[in-house]
Order: sequence, then structure tokens, then C-alpha cells
Amino acid sequence: MSNGVLIAVEGLDGSGKSTQAHLLVEWLRSMGAPVHHTEWNSSPLVASSTKKAKKQKRLKPETFHLIHAADFADRYERQIQPLIEVGGIVVCDRYKFTALARDGSRGIDSDRIEKCYSFAREPDLTLYFKVSPDVSLSRINKGRSQLKYYEAGMDMNLSEDPFESYLLLQGRQREIYDGLTQSGRMVEIDADRTIPEVLRSVREIINDKFDIDSISILDPKDRMNETLDFSIKK
Amino acid sequence: MGTGRLIVFEGPDHVGRSTHAEALRQKLEANGVPVIITGLARSQILGDLIKSGNKDIHDFGPKTRALLYATDLMDQIENIIKPSINAGFVVIADRYIFTPMIRESLRGVDTDWSMNLYVNAPNPDLTILLKSGPRRLLQRVIYSGNVGTLSRFESGMDLGFSTIPTVSFLEYQSKLKYAFDKFAEERGFLSISTSKSKPEVSGKIWDEVFPIVKDLIFNDS
Repeated sequence: MSNGVLIAVEGLDGSGKSTQAHLLVEWLRSMGAPVHHTEWNSSPLVASSTKKAKKQKRLKPETFHLIHAADFADRYERQIQPLIEVGGIVVCDRYKFTALARDGSRGIDSDRIEKCYSFAREPDLTLYFKVSPDVSLSRINKGRSQLKYYEAGMDMNLSEDPFESYLLLQGRQREIYDGLTQSGRMVEIDADRTIPEVLRSVREIINDKFDIDSISILDPKDRMNETLDFSIKK
Repeated sequence: MGTGRLIVFEGPDHVGRSTHAEALRQKLEANGVPVIITGLARSQILGDLIKSGNKDIHDFGPKTRALLYATDLMDQIENIIKPSINAGFVVIADRYIFTPMIRESLRGVDTDWSMNLYVNAPNPDLTILLKSGPRRLLQRVIYSGNVGTLSRFESGMDLGFSTIPTVSFLEYQSKLKYAFDKFAEERGFLSISTSKSKPEVSGKIWDEVFPIVKDLIFNDS
């Protein structure tokens, strides 16, 4: 049995993809679908090592690539695949395309990245939230006071100035994402728009692509339905 | 690469890798050659997470574990092994890329896939595979009084051969041995049996190492 659905959201920082992923997950859950949400860099055991290594500024492109792959593999082997195998829906906030963009922008050969992640099957749908540099930066600036070391790509010595470095790195990543969209692996959504506007596009695409009702839903008598009723009430 | 060398010991648990790595270190340093010994699960990034004593490592899926070992080793390669070789040291690796690869291959991880994780790992100047039959390994465990603490992982109990640790150990070690031998043959590793006495085995190792490090040996004349 392997009739689960795998949906991924991708995009640069500040594209609003995580916001939309949450909205998508709760919408699917409210319909009684067995949905699971997983985020990049969130393996219960690996993430703390990654965090520590980043704090020490110890990761170089090679180990940056490997440790993120380890985190993903842990979630793939213990969350994503197990859910898909029993017919669940998994929403991945960032998938292997993030590795292609981030590790690729750090000079790791794309064939190597593809091979490393070859155990992860292509999602049934990958939404790419395409955002312009200005909008992305203004959203990031609102959310926090300064850029983190690896987020700004300071490990790459592109520029002394974190913001300049950030823009250079994001430029490289945008090119990689564009290539993935052109090759048909991701569906592009204009993410410069407001949250409700983007949400409308997301729901249109999902409704178009999947028959949500056909996905095994929760037993109507299950006590979890009380929570569901509460979520759906307007 | 620089002027140093990379010498790798591979082989199963209890075969005497660490003993012989240490004997080789003493011999080299007595001859004026600086040595650094590295091993698995010793990196600053992941050392604690993947030590075999930490039960978390055995809860991971095989691909995750392969990636964690690769991260650990590449961190040591970048921060210790490459700089030491460049500085003229002999680096003795008490296990390198092959042990994690072989262990996980028994758990269904494709060797080509694993190899791809290590494309930037320097090639050893010499890889020595220390060999011993499963029965002899088990005897060493028993003789040293450690049969009660034989770990589930060392015995390969996750593979479901047997629920009795010693029985599982024998089965697992014979599978490992087969995989190690095949690997050694394909890649031209030097295989040395450890059935002889410790000085004899050390002597054999030195015979193979000497030609490789000859030019590094200190000559005070």
C-alpha cells in the first residue's frame, strides 16, 4: 500500500512558503485527512548538532551538505516514507530542491546532490513560491533584526557585508530554483502578492490536482473529530 | 596533497585495529615521524551523537546513519586529516570510509550511493584490512570478560539473525567478513590475518608501511 500524497513547498527565505504550508496543513486536517507536516532541519536528534555546528561556524560546504542530508534522511526514513506508505498526506516545508539550491550555491556539484538525495522520491506536487529580492528582504527585515551567519552565506566569503552577501547567495539560489521550475519539477506561484491572494492560488492548484475526498479520512466516530469540528467552524 | 601520508586500518570490532594502530604510532614516532591517529565518531560536530555507546545512533535508519558517519568523517578530514597531511604528519585512521559503508551495505544501503558521499575524501596511501574469523573474534570477547556487554549493534541484532547475542554475533561477523573481503579484493587493500601473535602481526604491518614512509624517517647522520 503506497497511495499517499507528498506535497513540498519551496522558495527563498521570506517567500511566505512556511505560512502557506501551515495554512495548507490545517485546511487538509480540517477535512479529516491524515496529514503530517515536516520542516527542513527539524530531525529531533540531528537538528541540535547542526545548530551547535552552525553556532561554532564549523560547517564548510561539504559538511553543510552532508549534515542537512542526514537531517532530511532521518525525517524521510521515520516520518515522510512511513506516512506515505500508509496512505497519508505529507507536507514538506522544503524538500531536496532546497539542498540543490543551498548546497549548489555553495559549489557542491548538482549531480552529487541529486545522487545523495536519490532515495527521496519526487513529490506529487512541489509549489515554488517565487519572490522578488526586494519583497523577500523587506519581509525578512520585518521579522528579525539581523541575518544569521549561514543564512547570509558569510561562510562563502562573498562579501564583508551580510546583506550584500545574502543577496548574492539568494541570487544564485534563485537561478537554481528557476532552472528546476523550467524543467517542470516545480510549479511556480507568484509570492510577491498578499497572503490571501497566494492562498487562493495554492487551493486552486491543490483542488485541481488532487481529489481530496478520495483520501482516506478519519472515522466519523473518532474522538479526534471534536477537534476537527472546532477547526472548521467559521 | 602535502608531504604526509594517510594509512588506514579497517576491520571488524575486536580484531585489534586500535592495538596495531597504536603500535604503529609508537614505531613511527620512535623513528622521528610525527603521527596523528583519527577514528570514527570523534568529530566536534557529531562525535557525541554517533558514538556506538549512544543508543540514539541505533534508532536512526541506515541511510541517516550513513550520512551522519559521513558528516563526522568529512569534518575530521577537513579539520584534522588534510591539514595534518599537509604539515607532514602520518595520519593513521583507525577506520575510515569503508567500515561505515560496509556496515550499512548489510542493511540495504547501496555502496555506490555511499561512495558518492565521500568523493572529496583523500585516497589512502595504504589501506590495511585486519582479518579474523568470527569464532576467534567471539573468543576474544569472551576471554576479555566482555560477553555480557556485547552490544546489540556489534552483534547485528537489528538484522534479526537471532535473539541470542552470541549467535547473532557469529552470523553478523561472518556476513561482515564476506563483505570486507570482497571490498578488499575489488580495491586492492592489503589483508593481514591477526591469528598470529601481536609482535608478528605488527612486524608484518611494518614491512608494508616502511616502503611508504621511508622518506619521512628521521636521519640524524
